[in-house]
Amino acid sequence: MKPAGAVLLALTLWAARPAGLLPLDEAGYRAALARQRGKVVLVDFWATWCDPCREELPVLAGLEKKLRARGFVLITVSADEPEQEGAAADLLRKTGVRPPAYIKRVKDNEAFINFIDHRWSGALPALFLYDREGRQTASFVGETAPAEIEAAVGRLL
Amino acid sequence: MRKALWGATLLLAAAAFGQEFKVGSKVSDFTVFDLKGRPAAFSSLRGATTVVIFIATQCPVSNAYNERMNAVYRDYSAKGVKFVFLNANSTEPPAEVEEHARTHGFLFPVYKDQGNTVADRFGASVTPETFVITADGVIQYHGYIDDSQNPARIQKQGLRSALDAVLASRPVATAETKAFGCTIKRKKATT
Repeated sequence: MKPAGAVLLALTLWAARPAGLLPLDEAGYRAALARQRGKVVLVDFWATWCDPCREELPVLAGLEKKLRARGFVLITVSADEPEQEGAAADLLRKTGVRPPAYIKRVKDNEAFINFIDHRWSGALPALFLYDREGRQTASFVGETAPAEIEAAVGRLL
Repeated sequence: MRKALWGATLLLAAAAFGQEFKVGSKVSDFTVFDLKGRPAAFSSLRGATTVVIFIATQCPVSNAYNERMNAVYRDYSAKGVKFVFLNANSTEPPAEVEEHARTHGFLFPVYKDQGNTVADRFGASVTPETFVITADGVIQYHGYIDDSQNPARIQKQGLRSALDAVLASRPVATAETKAFGCTIKRKKATT
């Protein structure tokens, strides 16, 4: 195989790989938000075992695609066990969810939940909305109407 | 404005479901239904120490605890603790709950919480979610069974630690933990 062909093959394989999920803890969460400063950020906590989460993913991917140019970012955080990481990455890819995509890896789950929001029970799906300054302005826990999410995002854009 | 938005959008258990029973508060009587549809008063099912556990048939997290629920039931029934296992999901009819219990070899009966009225009063939001109630009717523990869906990664016991404390007449060291699992599929509001 010619060098150019090998490079092309390598690039093709790289592009076809399942999107990796980055491990996330409290410090990582803070950093992930800081990297998006200046944008409106919606963080989606989800899991492969959560039916409403799976149903919501394509809706959120669509919202991200629609509002990306206006400064909207979707961050996903899988709450799956390590054994489900591959399935979680596959599902994100199939539903068209773009990075940044994380998987929760914390020492103390309760401490992490309280760190995100002490009012949150940890139930999924859970969405946390941040304005361009990184301030949390709203949250949605459980099944939520897409129009309600879009309206809250729209108010910040 | 921000607070208003929170209030409007949060479906967190307490506020959204009109939670009446909290840790430290007294539980008044309520009605559950056996899988034949017959009503049963909590007062007829309870004991000196009672555990109420919300479970599901289709939730992988709840199902991950099936064996552990059997074990905790077996271990603590022997110590006089009574258990009320409740399915509050509107999407899981009694026949399905019965089949699920048989398939998984549950040692305990499962009751239906029709219209999720009991889940609302407890402010239960996920499955599995547990409550420990003492002889005086006061909730002494609310939260998870343990802190990991995968038994190999358990670091903290919630329910067992609480029961051990209550049975030894000691205060429960951690009276509230964050229960995790699938959201309870509540009856859709009719307008």
